[in-house]
Amino acid sequence: MTIGRRTLAALLGLTLLFSFGLAWSGQRQIQRVNILMPAPFADATAELVQRFNRDHRGSIALRVTRGPRDTESISDLAISSLLLGSPPFDALLMDVTWLAKYAAAGWLEPLDSYFEPQEIDALVAGARLGNHYDGVLYRWPLIADVGLLYWRKDLMEAPPRTPDQLSSVGRRLMDDGAVNSGFVWQGRQYEGLSCDFVEMLSAFGGNWLNPQTGEPSLNSSEALEAVGWMRSLIRDGISPKAVTNYSESESLQAFKAGDAALMRNWPYAWAELQKPDSAVRGQVGVTLMVHNAGHQPAATLGSWGLSLLKGSDHPQAVIEAIRFLTSPDAQRERFRNQGYTPTDRSLFRDPEMLELSPILPDLEQALTHAVPRPPTPLYAQLSDVLQRQLSGVLTDDLAVDQAMNKAQINSMTIVEAAGGAS
Amino acid sequence: MTWLLLTPALLLMALIFGWPMLRYAWLSFHANSVLTGLVPVANGGANWMRLLADDRFWQDVLQTSRFALVSVTAELFLALLIALLLDQRWRGRGAVRALTLLPWALPTTMMALGWRWIFNTPYGPLEAVAGFVGLGPLNLMASPQWTWLATVVADVWKTTPFITLILLAGLQTIPADLYAAFRLEGGRSIQALRDITLPLLLPYILLSLLFRLAQAFGVFDLIQVLTGGGPAGSTESLALYAYFNAMRFLDFGYSATVMLGGFLLLSLSILLGALALRLSGALRPLQP
Repeated sequence: MTIGRRTLAALLGLTLLFSFGLAWSGQRQIQRVNILMPAPFADATAELVQRFNRDHRGSIALRVTRGPRDTESISDLAISSLLLGSPPFDALLMDVTWLAKYAAAGWLEPLDSYFEPQEIDALVAGARLGNHYDGVLYRWPLIADVGLLYWRKDLMEAPPRTPDQLSSVGRRLMDDGAVNSGFVWQGRQYEGLSCDFVEMLSAFGGNWLNPQTGEPSLNSSEALEAVGWMRSLIRDGISPKAVTNYSESESLQAFKAGDAALMRNWPYAWAELQKPDSAVRGQVGVTLMVHNAGHQPAATLGSWGLSLLKGSDHPQAVIEAIRFLTSPDAQRERFRNQGYTPTDRSLFRDPEMLELSPILPDLEQALTHAVPRPPTPLYAQLSDVLQRQLSGVLTDDLAVDQAMNKAQINSMTIVEAAGGAS
Repeated sequence: MTWLLLTPALLLMALIFGWPMLRYAWLSFHANSVLTGLVPVANGGANWMRLLADDRFWQDVLQTSRFALVSVTAELFLALLIALLLDQRWRGRGAVRALTLLPWALPTTMMALGWRWIFNTPYGPLEAVAGFVGLGPLNLMASPQWTWLATVVADVWKTTPFITLILLAGLQTIPADLYAAFRLEGGRSIQALRDITLPLLLPYILLSLLFRLAQAFGVFDLIQVLTGGGPAGSTESLALYAYFNAMRFLDFGYSATVMLGGFLLLSLSILLGALALRLSGALRPLQP
């Protein structure tokens, strides 16, 4: 069988036409946007992503990559891909403590030209913090987050306000046999311990970095007092010894089982405590961490936000996706379905939102007392040397002043090696 | 001709071993961190001076050595016992041989998570047993003095099968007629163990020691998942410290120095160990 010249020519013609078609469609290519998030957040945005893609069919295709659950693991993953040069991601959901480091490493694109000052003003107080480095906006908040004190409404009339009250109410409830532990928190050697420390330090009037000089002040008398109190919680049995190995999940487990009268945790815990398997369902209130009279209470700033990575091919499309995912409607949906705290101030007064959760006013109050951890690119080192010494004190290995002096010296070494105060 | 045939292997070694080591050595003489914008800047021997004065490095050297020596020793004794048992003929031996390999086949991160639950206070089974016999809450994972033992237990559980496998292979190379002849001469089995089994097994023991010590000195995943280096830094290993410096602190110059410093110390101690073995004549059975 032979193929006629005509057939051949026709085939050739068709092929040409087809390739022109391909080239033409390539001109108006779909813009692919890939955002890396920890798995729980990726799951929480799955429906929103679908809706976004439906509305932008033919122009933008948004994909959210599910990363590891653990904060440090996802940072490792992001950093590995950033170090290799051209990350497969256009944007990253960032924890508040990464911002300075990532910005200083030059991995982030400034967002000032994409967001208006009024938009920042519309954010709730705590959500306005932790998005800037050196005065440049690098992150747009997705979820507000601060440390809270959870208390059992069925066991006490009102929550304790001062460290002493906390100790005594915890002790009384344990003596009465109402609970096994007075107060559970995060005492494991990890980032959570630094978060708890920031709140307890503030309760005694101390600061991690001296606000005037920017230098570490971990061996101030206030810091020694705060750490002494943390240790006394364990020594006096108000917190179980096991707290020295607790992260958020273990604390929540103990509190949810009705084993503890008070707990320090993040807002996500509230939704968990209202689930049918919770022994304390409907009996839990939230408030600010205890503090001594004359000092400001502090709620450690958590919070996650979206950052545009340098080298993204189509920043405009990425910003559109970021705007959509952080819109008030999206916040409302995430709050309803997963209990993630919104960032838009008006939502805290929204009747429908208030009906969903009675703790919104408490959350807003806590957000006005949000205190960020030191916003320096060296934060990871500073936090690491602090955690080591705190862990030493809590596990009864070290004396308070000795440990905090060591933490101070090590922190000064880090800051000085970097060329003065950070 | 010899060299020509060796070239591909040598090239491969240079590529996968030589180049990274050279790169590490080069990095260790540079500041390359978030503060330098991740650009390497030569800083003389500053990293090495810092290493020498770094308490934490030396503490980690001791902790890593303690972990490696204790766990490998325990593994060797257990593995020898198990291998001798598995070398005997008995019903169901095949199935047991296969089962003993299970811990080795599990991914380390998964088994470390499992152990974290076993050691958990107050919900773990270890605490349940301790409570039952009246030892009260142990808080094993929150004790700077004792938590390292938990890492050893988990490691022994996981890697004993590996040594068992090597030793079992070694046992099977010992001809049965050696034992028969020994018995004819009136020797007892405990003497056979000392005079036949152990000397002929020595190359395998040394081989497994080499493998395991190198691995144990570089321990990372087990510690990372089980304790994260805590409490109070008491279980941190050198690899974990190097990892913190690189991935958390973005200080690649110092991270390379920590890794290389650990490597040099390990090489030195292996060299001294080999020399001592040679001088003591313990290796004589190995010589042809």
